[in-house]
Amino acid sequence: MEPVSSEPAASLTASERTFDQDLPSRTERRTAPRTWETPPAPVPPPHLDDYQSIVGSAVLDELRFLARDLKGKTLKMVNSTAVGGGVAEMLNRLVPLLGELEVSTHWDVITGGNDFFEVTKAFHNALHGAEYELTRHAQEIFLTYNEQNRQRMQFNEDVIVIHDPQPAALIRARQDGQARWIWRCHIDLSNPHPQVWGFLRPFIEQYDAAIFSSQSFARQLPIPQYLFYPCIDPLSEKNKPLDDNFVQKVCEEFGVDRSRPVVTQVSRFDRLKDPVGVVQAFKLARKYVDCQLLLAGGGASDDPEGAIVLQEVKEAAGDDPDIIILDLPPWCALEINALQQASTLIVQKSIKEGFGLTVTEALWKGKPTIASAVGGIPNQVIDKRTGMLVHSVEGCAFQIRYLLTHSEFAAQLGRNGREHVKENFLMTTNVRRWLLLMQIVLGVATV
Amino acid sequence: MSAAETLQRAPVKPFYFNTSAHLLRITKYKANTLAELLEALRECPEDSIFQHTFQTLEEHHFLGAGFSNDFAHWALAACNEASLAEALASVDVREFTSVSELRTRFVQILESYLRDNPESSPRAADETFYFCASDMVVMPTSFRANSLNEFAEGIRRVSVHSIHHHFIEARLRIKLMSNDFSQWLHEDAGLTETARSLNRIDIYTATLENVRQQIVRIVERALT
Repeated sequence: MEPVSSEPAASLTASERTFDQDLPSRTERRTAPRTWETPPAPVPPPHLDDYQSIVGSAVLDELRFLARDLKGKTLKMVNSTAVGGGVAEMLNRLVPLLGELEVSTHWDVITGGNDFFEVTKAFHNALHGAEYELTRHAQEIFLTYNEQNRQRMQFNEDVIVIHDPQPAALIRARQDGQARWIWRCHIDLSNPHPQVWGFLRPFIEQYDAAIFSSQSFARQLPIPQYLFYPCIDPLSEKNKPLDDNFVQKVCEEFGVDRSRPVVTQVSRFDRLKDPVGVVQAFKLARKYVDCQLLLAGGGASDDPEGAIVLQEVKEAAGDDPDIIILDLPPWCALEINALQQASTLIVQKSIKEGFGLTVTEALWKGKPTIASAVGGIPNQVIDKRTGMLVHSVEGCAFQIRYLLTHSEFAAQLGRNGREHVKENFLMTTNVRRWLLLMQIVLGVATV
Repeated sequence: MSAAETLQRAPVKPFYFNTSAHLLRITKYKANTLAELLEALRECPEDSIFQHTFQTLEEHHFLGAGFSNDFAHWALAACNEASLAEALASVDVREFTSVSELRTRFVQILESYLRDNPESSPRAADETFYFCASDMVVMPTSFRANSLNEFAEGIRRVSVHSIHHHFIEARLRIKLMSNDFSQWLHEDAGLTETARSLNRIDIYTATLENVRQQIVRIVERALT
């Protein structure tokens, strides 16, 4: 972790300062950096009633009604990791909520050696379109570990959900019983490596249904395909409301001056997130409007490529005192939350994106958001209604200028964005989708 | 019959507030050009037409103006065909009591536009239009109205999904240019004028929350 933050700039108003004037460099002006040695203890998951103040009692009543017809039915979730990553994070919240609704849910994690996870990591990248040569050896490793897990696990539930490609071959455990098997694909299959997809596809076709995170991620399959948008938990550390004193404290520690506009991108240091493009857009915009840029991310300490990208970003930023670059460890959710809440605008200028949950987080916080029209972002950012879609550095720069000078319009985007998330991308909506799916595949619902 | 007279007696039968929940399915139909959109519009299942018209209104209920249906949105955002988008956006779902009539209307608009603008037909869109469909589950709520007061209270407290279910989706079920609320007010509570006033609320210039407030105001007027 390396906070490369700065002290607040000397408090000049926009009219007083010349935007490109020489100011003390970041290093000269920063306070003693905060350090995090270890992750904090995990926070217990919330209860269903805790969501009432956010979504209203009618929405919770709907969940209880949908669950009532599923009483006695059982669900199993299988994925490849219990901690880390979006899927585990989501299951850690979803499974207790389904249990509270008396839909008995078991969560199993497959096991495998390093060789298995190396193969599945390569599959993952290949399914996103990367070059790869699928060898017979890799196929054997994949199938051997899936078979070991099949023999170790029990599959007695009414609905069995297999997450992502790693455990996809567990479908071989399917017997002629009543159980319904669902494949939940969290990755973008719009342009998969033909060999890898050709190897996996016969397994997928044996499922009763598949679930994708965006229409554009799906493949033509002979089974029903459902659309489950990813979701955020409004009560999680990263999204819950924060006391303004805490937000102020975090800003002071990182040298963010809340008296001036703050433009923020939260993303790991990865070229696909185009942090250098964000710096360029910021510099173009700042010729006309006073603002600071905050790039908050991670991945530089445990990923060699991340470290290179971080260095590129620092070089692009130069010694500009208004650019604050933070490389944060993954357990800084509260600090990220505070920085998002302190931001005037949020940018997500990705070149390629999955669903883009950082966009969801920004919209939920009511922040006017500028984002690239890639991956699942257009599902969230409806251009000029819930945010602004852009396609270039120049477009991004223009929208920064526009939104910083049209505060009423920006505020309306923020309000619409929050409502959009409330309706479509919150954990409670996700619970509803799972209950509906169970009703539909088990024939409980009349559709 | 005036509202005051009607309130002397209880409604003939209670109003049961229901709601519906929808699960999105991805279909095999998609379009990268307006020609492909037309072809898919002709062939896609009816629940796709429902999803991209009636249902999308619910999903975007918080947008007060400017969002009509997904076809119009795509024509503008991905194809930059402003006049086509206007024509598609002008289709008011409340003028249709069947999805097949609604499909016919969209097909007519697109056929006519492409006849006049043949160069637009094969032009590649910026984004693909994916036809989805929705599986719907109807469920009861805990709200039931035995009086106009209870009806107003129910309107205040049910979810916007319930408002959409009774006020917008209903016409496909009852096959009338009306809605469940107006039907009950007219047939069971004898409040014909109130029923008509409700049916005149413009769903395209208001959010569903605004619609809820307008319904409450109209019913409150009948109570005074």
